[in-house]
Amino acid sequence: MNLFKDIVGPLAAMVMVALVVALTTNNFLDAGNLSNLTLQVSIVAIVAIGSTVVIFTGGIDLSPGSAIALLTMVFAEVVRNWGLPIPVAIVVVLLLSLVLGLVTGGLTAYGRIPSFITTLAALSAFRGVAFMFNNGSPVFQLSPDLEGLFYGRVFGLPLPLLYVVATYAVAFYGLRYTAIGRAIYAVGGNPSAARLSGIDVRGVQLVAFLVAGLAAGLGAVLMSARLNSGSPNYGVGLELSAIAAAVIGGASLSGGRGNIVNTAIGAMTIVIVQNGLNLNAVPTSFQNVITGAIIVLAVGIDMWRLEIAHVLSAIFAGRRRGPALVSKKEA
Amino acid sequence: MPTRTPVWSLRSVSKRFAGVLANDRVSIDLHPSEIHGLIGENGSGKSTLIKILSGAYQPTAGDILKEGRPIVLGDPIAARRAGVSTVFQEFSLVPQLSVAENIHLGRLPKRHRRIDWAGMRDNAVRLLADMDIGIDPDRPVGSLSVAEQQLAEIAKALSTEASLLILDEPTTALGLEEIARLHGLLRRLRDRGTAILYISHRLDEVTDLVDCVTILKEGRVVSAAAESRVDIDFIVGRMVGDVGEHYPKERNATGEIALEVRGLSSRNKVTDVSFDVRVGEVFGLAGVLGSGRTEVARALFGLDRPTAGSVLWKGRPLDLASPKAAIAAGFALVPENRKFDGLFFNFTGFPNITAGRLDRLGPAWAISLAAERAAGRALVHDLEITPAAETREVGNLSGGNQQKIVIARWLYAGAELLILDEPTQGIDVAAKIAVYKLINRLTREGRSVILISSDHEELMAMSDRIGIMSHGRLVRVGDTSSVSKIDFVRASAAAGAPAAELSQ
Repeated sequence: MNLFKDIVGPLAAMVMVALVVALTTNNFLDAGNLSNLTLQVSIVAIVAIGSTVVIFTGGIDLSPGSAIALLTMVFAEVVRNWGLPIPVAIVVVLLLSLVLGLVTGGLTAYGRIPSFITTLAALSAFRGVAFMFNNGSPVFQLSPDLEGLFYGRVFGLPLPLLYVVATYAVAFYGLRYTAIGRAIYAVGGNPSAARLSGIDVRGVQLVAFLVAGLAAGLGAVLMSARLNSGSPNYGVGLELSAIAAAVIGGASLSGGRGNIVNTAIGAMTIVIVQNGLNLNAVPTSFQNVITGAIIVLAVGIDMWRLEIAHVLSAIFAGRRRGPALVSKKEA
Repeated sequence: MPTRTPVWSLRSVSKRFAGVLANDRVSIDLHPSEIHGLIGENGSGKSTLIKILSGAYQPTAGDILKEGRPIVLGDPIAARRAGVSTVFQEFSLVPQLSVAENIHLGRLPKRHRRIDWAGMRDNAVRLLADMDIGIDPDRPVGSLSVAEQQLAEIAKALSTEASLLILDEPTTALGLEEIARLHGLLRRLRDRGTAILYISHRLDEVTDLVDCVTILKEGRVVSAAAESRVDIDFIVGRMVGDVGEHYPKERNATGEIALEVRGLSSRNKVTDVSFDVRVGEVFGLAGVLGSGRTEVARALFGLDRPTAGSVLWKGRPLDLASPKAAIAAGFALVPENRKFDGLFFNFTGFPNITAGRLDRLGPAWAISLAAERAAGRALVHDLEITPAAETREVGNLSGGNQQKIVIARWLYAGAELLILDEPTQGIDVAAKIAVYKLINRLTREGRSVILISSDHEELMAMSDRIGIMSHGRLVRVGDTSSVSKIDFVRASAAAGAPAAELSQ
């Protein structure tokens, strides 16, 4: 019941966006397009778990796009040049993704450098390292077994959908039913009070970045599998989509508030918008502008909540007693 | 003397905040050429009154009169235009800018649409010379001593024509010599016709300077200027009043010693502090702001690493390396500022209560929300916290409920020693009494309490023994009965005086 109350707003927004897209295009609801949508959303959605967890602690992560570029190159390197079997290569990539999280998280939590700066630096540095592999050229045709990881189906369902469901289930459980999950919200809500409550604030911040690193690692594996390649140019702007997913899902950028499930809905919303623009043959340049506008709007709605409530209650006051909306907000 | 018409007056001004009456029908007349002292303990409504006069707050009822005519001070800019200049406790200076720039901040003189740097500097030189303030107008404010900054702040306040100058605790950062300079300046201003409203905790200093005093207590004027004598004994008597029935003190102290602090020092002010707290005892820590009371609490709670000394709990030495270690030892800190340090405003009541001991909700990988609900409901019922705490974020609850939730956190954690730093600040009388009853209950259950409070009356009434802090040292410890009220207030007031050695 609590969950439903949390997600109803973003869900309604997503449905509205989907309706608009369905009405303005011919083939949005085609099975082929919907399936394609699932594939598109999966990587953003999984990476956004990390971005959201960092946002919950009151930080921001700008690095996952570059981390993915670096990790796909490492993946390509260990598969093609070292000849490691795919499962081992995946483990290597995931371990390395944790190391990347350790770097950004360590600098943020223990170096006391704001996460905006550490991850902005990582955004630049990780991609720089990615270009050091294979003379900066993409590596294609990694392995014939790889594409099955992304395009395979189980019980008729596309595998990426299952990955999304599985990772979100873990994230949801972790944030709601574990001590570290609670601590993540506590640190984001009031780090000073968290410290006085005996919570290891820095440790919690570090954990959030480890989660973000791991999410980028999973995203990198899926990206490599999807395109059967590694490239230093992958993941450009992905951090923006991931943050947009979190923000559209209502995660507060000041930390401590939000529900991870909404991030999945936010990711779907943004991918549906992009899909709709594609189907309507809107040029990429303009799509980027629209993505920017959506982010501003999503944060704006969060910031202007009080004013919007005032306006709405003024409108409703004519028909009903005014305060209904206000008490709903407080509840 | 004051038969002339006042230049500024408050007529029966009241200010109500969510359930708390901060000012209750306060009337004050401020005459030109008069320094008017405003005195009262913390929470007596002084700050609210100043904010009303400086346009930051609007009165709930009553009028502000300027030269006999009602005036509305809608915001601080309007108040400034009407002639009210206020020097707040917190400086409003920009450290990187020069003294001259700071003085003209927000209204830099212009010529041909460009900033008139020369004119600005001349103006600043004239102003500083006029007030006999020997500060170089070109120096960046950040390079000045705290005392010089204070003088610069006052120069800034006086750079616009003001008929009323308000100073809120202007001497907190000053040494004796600088205080004397400041007082000289204020007297000169008075002699030129300015009305001055002067707020300070230091009674010796107030009685030295002011022409008349108004004494506030719990938001009301208990002694108006016309009937007040400018005399320490008189003021203390009125300030302290009767320690009445609203302190339901129970004496639960036993002979058994729970906490032994020996020679404790920290890098943060605390110097060679030793005291004991017994099982079931309330040990009061007194002292003016900045005397080191809060810092003792911080050291005991593992926030400031001790540099010397030892802390024994029930005979066992403790290593208080972090709040986590302190909590594990059974200590709890209810911080001075519950808004900044105590509450999680993103949580409803229950997660706020359990935050100190999540491990009690089951294994770290499977905390039980049902257990949290049960524990939360029990404590909410037990401490008479509003049931809304279950569903509402704590920001929507009253100050009294918020404070109880912070205390509930430590009851849930099973704390044996509770350090309560200003636990009743900013909550209304009924909620205060609830907190006192809670303190009784804690001690009845065999817990120990260290109570820190600027409200002397409260501290005297609720403590079994009291220690007075001054400059990081514990200068006096005694039973509350052995310390007379007036001695005690005096000791605190005097403790502030030799501040000269502190300011560089």
